[in-house]
Amino acid sequence: MPTLTIDGQQVTVPEKTNVIEAAKTLGIEIPHYCYHPGLSVAGNCRMCMVEIEKAPKLAIGCFTPCTEGMVVFTNTEKVKQARKDVLEFLLSNHPLDCPVCDQAGECWLQIYYMQHGQYESRMMENKIKKSKKATSIGPHVNLDQERCVLCGRCVRFCDEITKTHELGIFGRGNREELDVFPGKQLDNRYSGNVVDICPVGALTDRDFRFQVRVWYLGVQDSVCPGCSRGCNIQIHYNRNRPHHGHGRRVARLKPRYNSHVNQFWMCDEGRYGYKFVDAGDRIISPMLRRGAELQMATWGETLAASAERIRAVNPSQIGVIAWPQLTNEELYLVRRLFVDGLGCKNVSFSVPSKKDGGGDDFLITADKNPNTRGAGEIGLPIADSTGDILQAASRGEFKLLHIFGHDLLSSGLDQPLVESALAATETVIFQGSNSHLTVDRADIVLPSATFAEKSGSFTNFEGRVQRIHEAVPPLGDALPDWQILNRMARALEMGWDYQGTEHIFKELAENVAAFSGLSYCVLGDQGELLGYKPTNEAHIPTEPVTTVII
Amino acid sequence: MESEELQGIIDHYAGEKGALISVLQDLQGVCNYLPEPALRQVSDALHVPLSQVYSVASFYNAFSLKPRGRHHICVCLGTACHVRGAPRVLQEMERQLGIRAGDTTEDMNFTLESVNCVGACALGPVVVADGGYSGQMTARKVSPLLKTLGTSHEENQNDS
Ligand code: SF4
Ligand code: SF4
Ligand code: FES
Repeated sequence: MPTLTIDGQQVTVPEKTNVIEAAKTLGIEIPHYCYHPGLSVAGNCRMCMVEIEKAPKLAIGCFTPCTEGMVVFTNTEKVKQARKDVLEFLLSNHPLDCPVCDQAGECWLQIYYMQHGQYESRMMENKIKKSKKATSIGPHVNLDQERCVLCGRCVRFCDEITKTHELGIFGRGNREELDVFPGKQLDNRYSGNVVDICPVGALTDRDFRFQVRVWYLGVQDSVCPGCSRGCNIQIHYNRNRPHHGHGRRVARLKPRYNSHVNQFWMCDEGRYGYKFVDAGDRIISPMLRRGAELQMATWGETLAASAERIRAVNPSQIGVIAWPQLTNEELYLVRRLFVDGLGCKNVSFSVPSKKDGGGDDFLITADKNPNTRGAGEIGLPIADSTGDILQAASRGEFKLLHIFGHDLLSSGLDQPLVESALAATETVIFQGSNSHLTVDRADIVLPSATFAEKSGSFTNFEGRVQRIHEAVPPLGDALPDWQILNRMARALEMGWDYQGTEHIFKELAENVAAFSGLSYCVLGDQGELLGYKPTNEAHIPTEPVTTVII
Repeated sequence: MESEELQGIIDHYAGEKGALISVLQDLQGVCNYLPEPALRQVSDALHVPLSQVYSVASFYNAFSLKPRGRHHICVCLGTACHVRGAPRVLQEMERQLGIRAGDTTEDMNFTLESVNCVGACALGPVVVADGGYSGQMTARKVSPLLKTLGTSHEENQNDS
């Protein structure tokens, strides 16, 4: 554990820490392009130069390990001049097309030029033209070679993380170009990450390009609902330009660092899987069946109708199909309402999907639900599988089915069975966010919020409980599922009065052993494992919180 | 080139570390350039990703990714040659052959290139044609040089 001095401040760091990381712990930023903490060190951009006492010349911070007694200066005249010179080189063939560049506003050429460049241009020569501008190189990524600073981060990502080797730097000198091999595509299950780590506008996201300028975006921490890994993400939402981006409020998802879960990365399926949040099939109003038609109704009418029908039947005649897309808090309320409150014994939650989830040995898991583990810990299902419930329903044993989210009619379930179960059941209540075939068969429809529109927590397959936060308000009249359940319980006069998700979580932690000791404070922004044992020390997050763009 | 022939080259270096450059050199020697199907074969056989094969192939000037002509003319534009009039020699070459530096004539007879110093500054301006050095070049000497090259080509063809 060497102790060194950086800009007059002493710091002790683990063996082999480089100067950039050591400085980061002191809150000192050493500008850099090619270095990325999730990749091997390349040392090619020369932006990270620092002055080291007794060293004959400047050294690069990314490739210099800290040693005992080292004295580092990050802000001397020599260092400042070096940064200026490096920027002048990097920009000598750069097209300076920021007004039409989607990276503008989060571009490290812009940021570092303003912080460390600010020189007068001396370029008299013509700039070298590169071959590809605004060219798609794969399903998700666009390439603009003139803007590339040849840092090689994207190449190393494809070599070291996905090991798919699509990208390379070809040619040499001022004609070097980043590209794919002729005729090949950048097409792997994690390709979107290269856009995040590209420090400039060379690689941009085809899905996000030109939808919203980044300075109009708001940021909210969340967790990807795409599979049971629960990658930590940021939701970037369109804060105040609703007319931009074709009405998409959620503009993009970005991975958020969590050393226990996803490090710096996320998969493409998860990254581009959020479209349902603002899709045209969102259910924006409660609905009641009047004759052959589902008609819009108020929450009051709908909840009263639901309560009436629930009260009218024996609890043993109610089947509930919960949903592992619900948060821990909501699943807990499902249990409280149907099982503990009404005494209903037929609650399932998982529905097989038609296609295989295709898990891999990196992040993607086969279970496409973020909270299957949570549901299990909370004690769902009770007794039966969804198949059993449908069997019973088709035999006419149920008078009421409460279905959360699932589209049973396009699932991997036996379809004739689903048909006969729906037909044989008097009242079908559907509670979910998006419309589909099953919704058309419901008698009462309760519109719920998506993951981006509510707060709560998911438990990933390893048992890590992680928080999600509301980024945008629920669309139309939709409400978070926990609020719907809370109101329904009140309509059933169960005496509930939950004030918020934290209130529910507190009770959950008291009642469900696996969650004991956990609280929103303990979960923090990196989550915490089930079976947590509080220590006497105050809870301190163990990892430095690093933002995506590094 | 037949893929068996290429396999022969690859087998020759089998197991050697860093065989890639040697294989590419031999391939360039046989074909005069590096055909794309051959690069794919090299990548498969040596278990080197295509992107890396391409990086190496495009880095070295000795490799060409385009078919090259039977005669290879290289005009030095290094500092010494430059000040002694090499640009005019190059221009005359381009004019007579009807191609820009870096290109090959349509009949695949000549490939014209420029380099930034061949290390024979005392002879400047220097032109290296098919490996032979011609010093103190001038625009006037371009035509005879091309003729000699052209004839030697014809002779070769008559020989065979
Ligand atoms: S495209 Fe971006 S990440 Fe890749 S080498 Fe260029 S600047 Fe670096
Ligand atoms: S691996 Fe799973 S949790 Fe992670 S981004 Fe992909 S779908 Fe989302
Ligand atoms: S970050 Fe150190 S050389 Fe690029």
